[in-house]
Amino acid sequence: MGLVKFLSKRLVAIAITISAVLAVGYVLIYISPGTFYSSTNMGQGLSQLQVSDPTLYNQYINSLNSRYGLNHPLIVQVVDYVWHSLSFNFGTSFENPSVPIIHQLASALPISALLAGGAVTLAVVLGVPLGVLAALKRNTLVDSALTTVSMVGQAVPSYVLAVLLVLLFGVWFPGIFPVNGWGTIGEAVLPIVALAAGNVAIVTRYTRGSMVEALRQDYVRTAEAKGVARRRVVLRHALRNSLVALVTVVGPTFAFTVISTLWVEQIFSIPGMGSLLSQAFQDKDVPMSITSVYILSLLVMGMNLVVDMLYRFLDPRVKLE
Amino acid sequence: MADELLSVEDLHVEFERGDSKVYAVNGASFSVGPGETLGIVGESGSGKSVSVLSVMGLLRGSGQVTGGTAMFMGKDLLKLRRRQLEDIRGRDIGMIFQDPMSSLNPTMRIGDQIMEGMLSHQYTSRKGAFNRTLQLLDEVGIPEGKARFRSYPHEFSGGMRQRVMIAMAVACEPQLLIADEPTTALDVTVQTQILVLLRQLQLKGRMGIILITHDFGVATNVCDRIIVMYAGKVMESAPLVDFLARPAHPYTVGLKGSVIEVGTKAHQLRAIPGMATALTEPPRACPFAERCQLAADRCLEELPPLRPLGLGHYVACHRAEEVLAAAGTTVGAQVGGPVGGQVGGQVGGQVAQGVTARA
Amino acid sequence: MAVVSATVGPGVRVPRRHAQWWLAWRRYKRNKLAVAGAACVAVYLVLGLIGPWVAPQNYAQANFLYANHPPSLRFPFGTDGLGHDMLSQVLWSMRNAIEITFGASLLSFAIGVTLGLWGGLRGGVADMVIMRLVDFMFAIPQFFLSLFLVVAMGRTVWPILLAIGIPGWAQYARLVRGLVLGMRNGEMVEAARAFGASRAHIARRYLLPNVSNSMLVQIAFGIPVDLTVMAGLSVVGLGLRPPLPSFGNMIAQAGANVLGYPWLMYFPAAIFAVILLSFLFVADGLQEALNPRAEDGGRRARRFGFGARGRLF
Repeated sequence: MGLVKFLSKRLVAIAITISAVLAVGYVLIYISPGTFYSSTNMGQGLSQLQVSDPTLYNQYINSLNSRYGLNHPLIVQVVDYVWHSLSFNFGTSFENPSVPIIHQLASALPISALLAGGAVTLAVVLGVPLGVLAALKRNTLVDSALTTVSMVGQAVPSYVLAVLLVLLFGVWFPGIFPVNGWGTIGEAVLPIVALAAGNVAIVTRYTRGSMVEALRQDYVRTAEAKGVARRRVVLRHALRNSLVALVTVVGPTFAFTVISTLWVEQIFSIPGMGSLLSQAFQDKDVPMSITSVYILSLLVMGMNLVVDMLYRFLDPRVKLE
Repeated sequence: MADELLSVEDLHVEFERGDSKVYAVNGASFSVGPGETLGIVGESGSGKSVSVLSVMGLLRGSGQVTGGTAMFMGKDLLKLRRRQLEDIRGRDIGMIFQDPMSSLNPTMRIGDQIMEGMLSHQYTSRKGAFNRTLQLLDEVGIPEGKARFRSYPHEFSGGMRQRVMIAMAVACEPQLLIADEPTTALDVTVQTQILVLLRQLQLKGRMGIILITHDFGVATNVCDRIIVMYAGKVMESAPLVDFLARPAHPYTVGLKGSVIEVGTKAHQLRAIPGMATALTEPPRACPFAERCQLAADRCLEELPPLRPLGLGHYVACHRAEEVLAAAGTTVGAQVGGPVGGQVGGQVGGQVAQGVTARA
Repeated sequence: MAVVSATVGPGVRVPRRHAQWWLAWRRYKRNKLAVAGAACVAVYLVLGLIGPWVAPQNYAQANFLYANHPPSLRFPFGTDGLGHDMLSQVLWSMRNAIEITFGASLLSFAIGVTLGLWGGLRGGVADMVIMRLVDFMFAIPQFFLSLFLVVAMGRTVWPILLAIGIPGWAQYARLVRGLVLGMRNGEMVEAARAFGASRAHIARRYLLPNVSNSMLVQIAFGIPVDLTVMAGLSVVGLGLRPPLPSFGNMIAQAGANVLGYPWLMYFPAAIFAVILLSFLFVADGLQEALNPRAEDGGRRARRFGFGARGRLF
């Protein structure tokens, strides 16, 4: 069956891409200034040890080197590292060696996935109807208002909007939504809104564009000539076909949303992938930073795969290949 | 006329283009009766498609009907609400469009597209619609209807798609079928098949057909009556016989002179000089005058009315009598530019005696 | 409309070479938002240029006596927790933002156009390798690559510029290659070739003008994206290292302190948003003016996958 072949081909492509990401990340960190172990806490501990007990320090460094494979040539290290990551064998981080990375991911990833998923869902649920509305009311006040607002929404980054929301619900209208932390449903509202705004704007704009185009198509006129009711003409004929074009836009939106999640989590102090990743990069925590990029890249590529399958499902002209 | 199916009178359509207006249709009148085939012939931009689309309420963009009536079964289509028009479209009046590539919804199975009209009009039950679809596929010459029902348009060739379009258009057994350039996008051999198919369907149901085409051969092949449009006005309207034997408008004569037939030599063809331009104000004189070699001062000053010339033969030309009188002498040369000599005698398969004036 | 005999006013005949730019400018002027955007961008550029000289204080000058001071005559934008004058911070940030975003966009452009032209004109293995690389760059968020580059190079102006500029090349490469391939086989070039035009002549007369329009639009869309990424690096703590001033640092700082000192957010965030919006309006206006056929963006969106906006991180 074509689907199996398509999926296996895509999975191989994903594996190759992700290996390349891991390799590039590893090499860039490897050549970065400072030693491999110069992460914040670990580096401090090591330099104290170097002063107080050089022998123990050397033993310790040697054990670290053999553990992380640093006594091998770089190419071997890279291959090893990629292989371990691909088999989800992440080990522990430099900064928090008592908790395996996989456990930290298990608590952080669902939070970010929830935020990103919520934002994309909201974007589709709001953006598609708004785009259709703008297209149907083309060149009216409603249309230009929607178009202008969505342009603003597209230009203003999520972190600016997040800070604005904190200001709005923390200072001006306090007590409606919590503006900080994580744990209750209410605390998810503002982050999702901040994340979704840009997506809603993009989806609205592209829905409008593809709807305007679709409404001009000959097959829409054919449907009208058949006497099909306006509502059905818009939904079954125009919208159904513009969804095909829209899906190609949703793909890149995922990457954008995942990155925005990192930013918004910072502003709202949410313990998701954003805090893991930014802490890891700031601390130069090698395993943690590469692993978090790895996981998020997988997430993006997985979602793109789903979108591609959806695209092929929506457009009968495209064959799975 | 009481026995007419659709009778359009003095139709006016305007488009807005930036600050200016384009006058696309300027007082066109035509009618078609049951079982009759009316051909509307003209160059692109002559307003032939626009007049029919506006009657059906299918105008796009800034197009607007600014005057006229279109009586169909006792109702003026131009005054109906959207809902009422939706009821008539597809049920009482079917339509076929030019490009079968783009006129079918690419994401919908063709069976569903054929059924859709019937279901919208509650023409029959779901089951009935399914059976009728299979029957229609058979009628329009698509074998293995059951298997083809689930196909998508891209899996069909152009000719097959046009057959599907026809099946869709006649699904509810309309009294009138409007075919807007139905064969233009097709291969010549397929064109003939489609025209024959239309004729067969017409004979079955005494359906009236309006065939819009720029192709003279096609029109003379299947139409009972032909009107020639130019600049949104009817230039000449005549039964096929008169049309072939006694064309009375210089434009008609010119059009015929430019038909390319098998065996025609280039020097035998006469192109009409110049080209049709969009009208940015309503015509006050004969719109064809500037391209007409017979144009007199009067033609540049006075709008020729559409006047009767014979039984059912109407023409909008000040000098129609002269054109007629000159037929068989030298009009062809005068109208069509360079003296051409013999024009191929065959026009669209019909023997065209004295069609084009011979030198 | 034919460009051949473009007359701008009665009697004013524009030389043919510049006719299309005149027409584009006339189309651009009609878009009020784009004109307003261009004005804002001009102000931004001027302020960024002269900012360091007109700023009341040096960006690094802290004054603990006036920490967390609300906006006043002396400190129009207020001060932060270290007593930095926020107005001065904003002015210095503009300078950094201009240097980094324009530099990064030009760098992406240079790499992308070089590789795209090479692949498109050369074909074969080179083209294949380049296109695989482009696929790779599009498969993952480019922001991640920026993060690794920052870690590898540091957090001052040049490293940040490189970290943003290097990963951005792929969209330019893809666009250029597509245009070159499309035009190499296009009717226009074929006609020129039939008339015996030389390869160099074709490249100069046909390829470049068409490519340059699309490129200009692409760069205009790219600059605000780079600005967003630059500030985004600061938000995750990997932008310009304080005390180097940047919009991202100010916004991140505002995020942490907005409950107590909301003015930290008012001015930097508002100005930042206005700058981004202005660039977007300008880019939109340019697109409309230079590629008038792509009115609704629909056709372009399908052709390039994601419209002229192309990359979103």
